[in-house]
Amino acid sequence: MAFNFAVDFDPAHPDLTSDAEVANEIFLQVFNSGDGELFNRLYLEDSISNFSGEPLTGAARLAFFKEFLSSKPTLEAAITFSYVAGDVALMGVDYSIRGTGPDGSPTLLEGVCTDVLRRQKDGRWLMAVDRPVAAKGLVSE
Amino acid sequence: MSQIIADLEKRTELYVDAFNAGDADALEDFYTEEAIAVWEPGKPLTGQARRDYQRAFLSRGPRITAVPRQSFVTSDTALLIVDWTIDTVDESGTAVQLRGIGVDVLRLGEDGVWRYTVDDPYGQED
Repeated sequence: MAFNFAVDFDPAHPDLTSDAEVANEIFLQVFNSGDGELFNRLYLEDSISNFSGEPLTGAARLAFFKEFLSSKPTLEAAITFSYVAGDVALMGVDYSIRGTGPDGSPTLLEGVCTDVLRRQKDGRWLMAVDRPVAAKGLVSE
Repeated sequence: MSQIIADLEKRTELYVDAFNAGDADALEDFYTEEAIAVWEPGKPLTGQARRDYQRAFLSRGPRITAVPRQSFVTSDTALLIVDWTIDTVDESGTAVQLRGIGVDVLRLGEDGVWRYTVDDPYGQED
């Protein structure tokens, strides 16, 4: 995979930081790499992802990320707000995901997403909850 | 996990009680030290500015209702989506009803108590 980070990124120990623009850049590049296992490392074991349309955690979340990202969908996202309170950050993004449906036709998902990030004991910031609200298209469709 | 959600829902009920009693000191214990509240969209307040705003807001005798819409709870961090209404009065004393879909982030403290760390009452557009 070809990463082109303008920010520090250690694949073995990713840190989204509490800077919303840095977090967004890392999130985008890792998502767009198509590597579901690496993308899952941006989350904690008990973090909740609602990308699939259902709250997933642990092994179910990893399995979904691997499957969903394997077809290399392309995420675009822009930060709309960011509040950092101590060891927690709440960020908002406008997102769109372009992919390919089972029949080969292009698909588009877009909407707004609320992300909660948590600082770990080791200082790294990782996703605790993501909650997309789709304006167009659902992953489960 | 259901016990944690029950704890959080109880916490919301107690928050509503403290709010409706107009008890600013009691309400303060529902927030973390670093908490951010966004009572007016785009204007996050923290620290003493947040406390002063809430005290002034409560002085008008507002009444709040809160109905949980969704809860996402990890071991120590929760995201709650809440439908709320507040009946209060505006600066001229005229009755007004405020409403919104709140986006709240709570943290589990070392004392075992969940507290609001981000309180964004207009966090989701309808």
